[in-house]
Formats: sequence, structure tokens, C-alpha cells
Amino acid sequence: MTLACAQPFTPREGTCRPSGARTAFLKARYLQAPLMVDIDYIRLLTESHRRTDGLEVLERRAENHAYALERLTPVIHPQDELVGNKTRFIRGAIPYANYAAGPFLKGIRQEQQDAQQKHMDQGHGGGIEQSLALAEQGEYRVFSGKFLIANADFETFREICEYWEDRCFMAQGDRLWKTHFPAAAFIEQGWETGLFTAPHDPCPEGRLVLDFETALAKGYRAILGEIEARIAAFRPAGIQEAGKLHFWRAAKRTLEGALVFAERHGEEAERQAALEEDPARKARLEQMAESCRRVPAEPPRTFREALQSFWFTYLLGHIEGSHLGYSPGRLDQVLNPYFQADASVSYDEAVELFEELFVKMTQIEYVASLSWQGLGHGNLYQNLILGGVDEAGRPADNELSRVILDAQIRMQMTQPTLSVWYDDQLSPAFLMKAAECVKTGVGYPAFFNQKTYIEHERKTSGLPVELIRKHAAIGGCTEPTLQGLSYGVVQAGFVNHGKLLDLVLNDGVDPLTGLRLFEAVSPRTYEDVQRSFRDKMHTTLRNWQQYWNYVMLAHRDTVPLVFCSVFVQDCLGRGKCMDDGGALLNGSPTTLSSGLVNVANSMAAVRKLCAEDRVCTLEELRAAVAANWEGHEVLRRKALDAPKWGNDDDAADALFLDLFADYCAWVRGQENFLGKPYDPSMLAISTPVPFGKACGAFPDGRKAGEPLADGVTSPFPGTDTHGPTAVIRSSSKVDHTQIRGGLLNLKFHPSALKGERGSKNLLALIKTYFERPGFHVQFNVVDSRMLRDAQARPEAYRDLVVRVAGFSAYWVEMSRALQDQVIWRTEHTL
Amino acid sequence: MTTGTLFDIQSYAVHDGPGIRTLVFMKGCPLACAWCCNPESQAFRVELRQVPERCLACLRCVEACPEQAMTAIHGVPVPDRAVCATCATLACTAACPGGALVAVGRPVRAEAVVEEVARDADFFRHSGGGVTFSGGEPFAQPAFLEALLRGCRERGIATAVETCGHVPLRDLQACEPLVDLFLYDLKALDPAKHLALTGQDNTLILANLRWLAAHAPAKVVIRHAVIPGLNDDASDHEALADLMLSLGLERLDLEPYHPLGEPKYEGLGRRLTCAPDARLLDEARLAVLVATFNGRGLSCEVA
Repeated sequence: MTLACAQPFTPREGTCRPSGARTAFLKARYLQAPLMVDIDYIRLLTESHRRTDGLEVLERRAENHAYALERLTPVIHPQDELVGNKTRFIRGAIPYANYAAGPFLKGIRQEQQDAQQKHMDQGHGGGIEQSLALAEQGEYRVFSGKFLIANADFETFREICEYWEDRCFMAQGDRLWKTHFPAAAFIEQGWETGLFTAPHDPCPEGRLVLDFETALAKGYRAILGEIEARIAAFRPAGIQEAGKLHFWRAAKRTLEGALVFAERHGEEAERQAALEEDPARKARLEQMAESCRRVPAEPPRTFREALQSFWFTYLLGHIEGSHLGYSPGRLDQVLNPYFQADASVSYDEAVELFEELFVKMTQIEYVASLSWQGLGHGNLYQNLILGGVDEAGRPADNELSRVILDAQIRMQMTQPTLSVWYDDQLSPAFLMKAAECVKTGVGYPAFFNQKTYIEHERKTSGLPVELIRKHAAIGGCTEPTLQGLSYGVVQAGFVNHGKLLDLVLNDGVDPLTGLRLFEAVSPRTYEDVQRSFRDKMHTTLRNWQQYWNYVMLAHRDTVPLVFCSVFVQDCLGRGKCMDDGGALLNGSPTTLSSGLVNVANSMAAVRKLCAEDRVCTLEELRAAVAANWEGHEVLRRKALDAPKWGNDDDAADALFLDLFADYCAWVRGQENFLGKPYDPSMLAISTPVPFGKACGAFPDGRKAGEPLADGVTSPFPGTDTHGPTAVIRSSSKVDHTQIRGGLLNLKFHPSALKGERGSKNLLALIKTYFERPGFHVQFNVVDSRMLRDAQARPEAYRDLVVRVAGFSAYWVEMSRALQDQVIWRTEHTL
Repeated sequence: MTTGTLFDIQSYAVHDGPGIRTLVFMKGCPLACAWCCNPESQAFRVELRQVPERCLACLRCVEACPEQAMTAIHGVPVPDRAVCATCATLACTAACPGGALVAVGRPVRAEAVVEEVARDADFFRHSGGGVTFSGGEPFAQPAFLEALLRGCRERGIATAVETCGHVPLRDLQACEPLVDLFLYDLKALDPAKHLALTGQDNTLILANLRWLAAHAPAKVVIRHAVIPGLNDDASDHEALADLMLSLGLERLDLEPYHPLGEPKYEGLGRRLTCAPDARLLDEARLAVLVATFNGRGLSCEVA
């Protein structure tokens, strides 16, 4: 190396080390643990299901869940202080065959699971490598790509899956819509072509936050007492009314099972305490045993008990459903009163307890269809959101908000998905710490504008603003919900706008599979393309929404959430579970989509090339796109140079805004399974990659198979040539109050965020975006690994913000040798 | 209508003055510092830059060049730089489908630049930022710069100018009331050394600085590019601190050498004539430098 690059490339900032030996051990143990399938819960639940034929649906569901809870093996791993795990293993997943046995059976029979599997990457490294190594030793076999299942369990699991094959939620749903829904073939072809994400039945729920405040404050015994009183006083007036009895009885049964679950963990702690030689650990185990006897039955007396109580309720709800995006919500609000009231816990001790909580949350895995595992990248999107305002609109960040940020700065875990409800009044100390956390490169917290969501919810549900302020949370990656009041965000999966564009350009036929989804219409002009896209989007959305209403009927008849309903207001008061509309807010089920930026950019290119500049006809453009631009480089250059979303160009941006507004209005025009208008939402998770793989080339210059634009309002990589402020100006033209969710990702090199000044500038950027108002922004602060990826895929990093005093350049334009040095520096200046 | 030549506008610039800033890079500079990280800033005319990685080897540029200055050698286009330097059209850049041939620099109206800068006004407001004119040498296009400064002032945008100081005093005087912050570059204090490193001696630069320090000392931040082996021995730094103290100037930004501009030379058909070893400037060495200057009573930071 003749040149080396010094100070401009400081590494990311932050003291990223667990605060003590114990949490360092917990993290290291997690990182080495293989991914296991644990059939214990589903085996017990199935055992109970076999014996309860004839019981009413809700009561049967409750009985099965409670039966399993009462018999699960309580496990306390060495050095754990927070008691309870979703499985017996460090990293474990429950295979919910009662939801969808089909994909598991296909796995067991080694068949392809669904059409989209080929587009999915399951990840590798760390625990996944460990799994594969163990499988070679003979006692385990690999299951669902990256999990291990004990050979001894495998046959039992096959029998379980065979039992559920015709009884599970997915099978029941299929029997309904496939035999009645006129557009059934369209839905199936949609899966085949990648117009939709694979069937969501294996993990339909989540995006839900329980009412932990009430769970802690009252304790289960008091709630049981209330239910018993309701049952005793109840005199039904008709059969509708009489159904309440089923729900209350079911609710009561799940709470009883939950209390045994806690009690058994207490016994386990006591057993271990008796055997323990180390006096400190012995005392800790005794204290843990006492906690498990106290909570969640009674209100907590200490901060440790409060955290334990939260964790039990959280875990019990998590075990009941096959969740994705099931979230803890505003934990700083719920737990701070207990922290403040407990003088025996210092700030640093609280940090350590949260460090453990974050390891525990990360240890939860899910095994579903391969497509959904790939889409979530193993991430469960358990969203913990800090700050925001209280009922009265006052800033709500507190000492515990900072404790939680410190824990994440130290642990760098992939879970929880940490977020901040942004409000201008939040304390500078809290906001600076949030910026500090961003700068570690962990990717969190994401910032959400609470005012925007409050406005959205006020408009759509008409609930009082005080209620919205207090309960506003995020369930899942970016979907706002009202914690403890709402059936979260339940939806059918994603619509791929890019595939619709494919279908428009190919006269209704999918170019990859040859399947015809729409009747043959050949667009001749720019206006034709616009009209055709709109028509196809309308049809597609309508079909997708109607299909899901059938499925959710099957959900109610097979896997209604009873335990979770106990902790969502006002299910107990109404005597109804969430599936029957027991929640206060039922408008939240949404329709999701991804890839609209590419459609807008393509519309802009068609307009520019065919209508305005007339450099080619639409037919010529379609031919170039069909040829994946090969042999049409000059035209592609013109297409790439056409106006693009994300540069604050009003003419280009208007195309996106029109599509967006039309999408929102159309989605809202249809009723969901709870009889309320569907709420429009856009988000991305990993969809841009598989959706992009399924799509041909686009008129905006994108080549076949390339990922679609990330996020919702993020520009397509490489097309935002005016820097991050122009991206924000474009993005803030969207009326985010029309939609539940939306996201913008920005990539920064540490050089652009250096020091206290860098943090302040970052906060000023957020403040400016949210004043306009935007809704969500999240920052990727790159490290050397990402920079290597940037070398391999420069197009995806064209927007990387590298800032050096007085220097003009983009990362991707640097020479390879220089990039190597930048990487070297980013790695070595520690 | 005042027009001038820019080669880049960079938003969210955070190292060239306080807060979030928009950095306007103006083309053309009276100095020719050997280590310059923006070599494309030195010439006043629009230049041809090659990005070889993007070349599709389609040779459309060879066909498009009106001067027949583009030759295919082993299938790769090679420009005759002497001819390109006088080319008014750079037709090859428009013909290139891969974006491998780029025209560096574009003539723009001052109003359009002000318009573009003003779009970020709310970012400036929330961060205490503004616009920074850099380059190149902004004062080398004096009427254009004045129009830009005036336009920004009218819109309430805080202004900063990064200058090498080698400019007519009257231009500096004319603009001074419109500038909130001067980032005043000092490359070397020894006149002979300055001449050797930049191609100009520093008499005018120091005289202008004296005027500025006498009239608006609070607006001045000295910027010193630290180039290992060229201008960074103890006597250089001693002299810099002495001068600043004698002029009543306190704020000093150090700009450590970095080689990020190196690949740009190749793209312009030039060679970097010096290759300072940036490894000599690690964090520890910089910390010592900062402490030394602070020890002299200055307020020193790494930009």
C-alpha cells in the first residue's frame, strides 16, 4: 500500500461492550447457540386437542394452551436472572403446526414449499453454521433450512403435522376461499409469479402490543376475580349475548394455566437454589423463586418483579400465537414508575437487566414457511418504542428511556427493534443518547413522528386524542398501533407493485412464468400505461383484501387468540375475543405494499422518453425492457437520466404522490374482516429483494432481477443525485397521515456523524423532516463489512453519505484500491 | 444576470462551518497545491473526466468526437487531452451510455444556485447551518460570488466562504459585509515554501488576512491543511500560532491530508505529483497537534 487514509475514516462510535461479565456471557452464549426446533409446546397442545373434541372453539383453544403451559418444562439457564423462555433451548422456535402444517410436511417430505422459496436467502454464519455442524454429528437433523430438530422428536413431529394437516388454520382457510372465492386462481397465480408474498397463514398475527400496564398493576388474580364476577352475574338475553360466557370461561382458563406456568418456574428456581454452592447465585435464585411466586399473580413490589411480571405476560402471549411483529411497546412508560419507586436498583443495574432482556428477546426464533423466514431474515420485529408524549401531550421520556438506550448501545443485539416516538419537546439528554445509539451502527433506534400518527388515528378512528397519545406504539417494524387497545395490524402480506408494472408492459402475462393474470390489453401511449397500471392495481388489491377476509374467518374458527385478548381492552368488557371484534380499535388490519417508487420512476421515464422528448415509441421502449436493455444501452442511459423520485423534482415526485394517493383511497374503500375500512400501509422488510428477483427490467433503467427500491419513500439506489436533504424534501411531500406506516432509510458513513456536532446535526435533520412533516426515518451507519458489500454491489450504495471537509466525491466513484484503504481504516482505528 | 461555473453542490455538508450546510464548489483556483483533493477544481474551464469502471467499450465516443480526439486502443477509448482541453462541446459525454465520460463543471446562473441552496433553509435553521462557498477559489469569480452571497443574505441564509486568500483585496472588501464566516486557508507561512507547494508566494494572502483580521476578526477561522513531510514540522506550526496570536485570531481548523482525491487525477488524465504518507497523521499525532495549538491559547479543532 502506497497510500493510507487516516482520520477521515474514523470507525463508528460507542462503547459497545456488555456492562458486566454476566451479560457478556449471555451474549456470547447466544452467539454460539444453534437454532433449535422445540416441539414441546405443540406436542402438549396437540395432546390436549385430541382429547377436547366437542368443546366450543374458544374454550377448546384456551384449554389446549393452558394444558401445554401447565406441563412445559421450566428451564432456567446458568446465569439467567430473568425467568422464562419461549423454548427449552437458548435459540429456539416453536413449530406451530396448528397454524400451518402443510409447509412443515413439505419440509418433512423434502418437497419444495412454495414458488417463492427460490428467491429467498436464509442467511448463514454464527448460530446457523453451528446448527449445520451439529447436524453432521448424527443426533439431530436439519429442518426448515437452518434449524435442528432432535432425531428422537422428528417422528413425533411428523405425526403432529399429519394430525393437523386437515385441521390447521391454513387448511380450514383454504377449504373456504378455494371453493368459493371467484378470484381464487388469481391469488394462487399471484403467489406463483411473486405478485404477492407467500401465504401468510404460518405466521399471521403480531403487530400487536398487550396492555402490560394493567397486567402489572392489577395482577392476574385480581383479573381472574373480575372474570369470575362477570360470569357469576351473567344472564344471557340471546345466543349472541350468551357467547360471552364462552369467551370469559376461556379467558379464565388461560390465566389459570399462566399462573401454573409461573409457579413451576418458581419451583425450578427453588430446586436450583437448593443445589447451588455459590452463595450469591443461591441468594439470587431464591429471590427469583420468590418473584415467580409473586408475579404475575400479584402486582410487583420491586423493579425486578415488575420486569419479571412484564416478561411473563409478554412470553405467555408470544407462546400462544405464531407471531411476527408481536411487540413490547412503550416499555419505558410502563416500567418507569416501578423503577422510580425502587431505591434498591441503581441505573447501572437496570441497564444490566435490560441487557439480559434484549438477549432473551433475540433468543426467540420462528420457524414458518421458508419464504416467511427469508422475508423476516429471522428477525421477529419486536418493537420497543421510547419517548413520545403522555396523555396530556407532555414529553414522556424518562430515566428508564435512557437506561434502555444504554443497554442497546452496550449489547448491540438484533432485538428488540428499538424505536423513538419523536416529539420536539423530548429532552436533549435523551435525544443525544438516541443519536449515540444510532452512531454505533446497530441500526436502531428508528425515529417515528408521533404527531403524524396521532393525526392519522384521529382521522381514521375518531378516538380521543388523549387516548391515542397514551397508547400509541409501534407493532412490528413500522406499523403504528394502539397498545392494549387494538388487534394490531393483521394483513394478508404484501402486494408487489413492480410485478404489476411487469404485467402492464407484457399485456397481462407474467414474463417469467408465462402465466396470464389479466386479459390482454396492449398499452400504446403513456396514458395507457398509467390507466392500465391503475386498473390492475385496483383489481389486485380488491382480490387480495377479499381473499384475506375468508382466511380470517378460518382464523377465528381455529386459532383465535384468547390469552392475548385478555390483555386487549375491551375484550373482557365486551365478552368477545379480538377475532370477534372485542378490541376497542378494529380498524387497524391493513393492506401492505412495496415497490411503488420503481413504478413512479418508470412512469416518469415513459412520459419523458415517449411523450415529451419522443426519443422512442412505447413499443420500442417495451422491446428494450423485454430484452433487459441488452443492445439498447443508449436508450437505457436516457431512461436512467429521466427524472427520478427523491430529488425534490416536483414533476417526478408528483407521479409518486398520485400513485400513493390512489393506493390509499382505494385500499380504504374496502371493509376488513372486522367490518371496518382497511387501512393502507406500505412497508418493506426484505421484500425489495425477492420482489425484485421476480421482476423483469423496468422502463426506469432498472435491470431484471435487481432489488426494488428499499423502504417506502427511499429512492431507488443511485437515482438520488441530490443528497439526503433532497431525499427528505421529496419524502415529506407524501401525506403520511393518510397511511399507517411508511419508511425512509438513509445510509451514512461515520465521517458524516462524527462527534457531538455530528449527533446534533443528525437530530436537526430528524427535526426538519418531522416538521414538514415526515413519519419515519432510520439510519444505516456503515462499517467495514458493509463497505465490502458496497464494493461488490456499488449500485446499492450510490447514496452512501460520505463527508470529508471540503471534499467532493461519492463512495462508489472512488477507486477500488482507495476503497480498500477506507475499509482498512474503518476496521483498524479502534 | 450573473453566471459562473460550479462543479458540484453537496448538501448535508457537516465539516465546513457550523451545522448542516450546503457546500457550493466553484471551479477555478489561482493556486495549484500539489496535494489538492479536488484537482477538478483547479482549471476554470469545463473538463473531461473519465470513470473507467463504467466504460462499456461501445466506442460511441470515438464516433461522436467532432475533433477525432478519441482513439480506440485495444478496444478502449483514449482521449487526446491536449485537444479535449480546448473542446467547447465535449460531445463525447452526451454520447456515452455508461456514464464513463463526464463533463466536470457547468455554467449556472447565480439565481438558480441561490434557489437550490434555499431549498435547505429549514435544515439550516434547525442546525445553525447555512451555505459554504468553496472550490476552487470562490473569489476567483468575484461578481458571481457577490451575487450568490447577496442572494443568500436576502433569504436569511448564513454564509461562509472558504478562500485561499490569493485574491484582489478589493474583491474581498466588496464581499466582506455579506459573509458571516471566512474559512481562510493558510498552506505555509514561509514564502519560499508556499511558492514551492502552491505555485504562488503568500505575500498577497498574508496582506489580505491582515486586512480581514483588522476589520472582522470574529468572522475568521484559519484552516490549515496538514500535509505530512511538506508543511508540518514544528517550526511551521510555531509560525502559524505566532501569526494568529499577533493578528488576534483564535479559531483554527486542521485539515489532515487524505488521499481521497487521488483517483480523480487519473480520471482527468493527470498525475498526483506528490504522495504524502497519510499514515503519519494518525489520531494520536493529530491529538498532539491540537493540544499544541490549544496550549498556545488558540481554539483548535480537526475539521
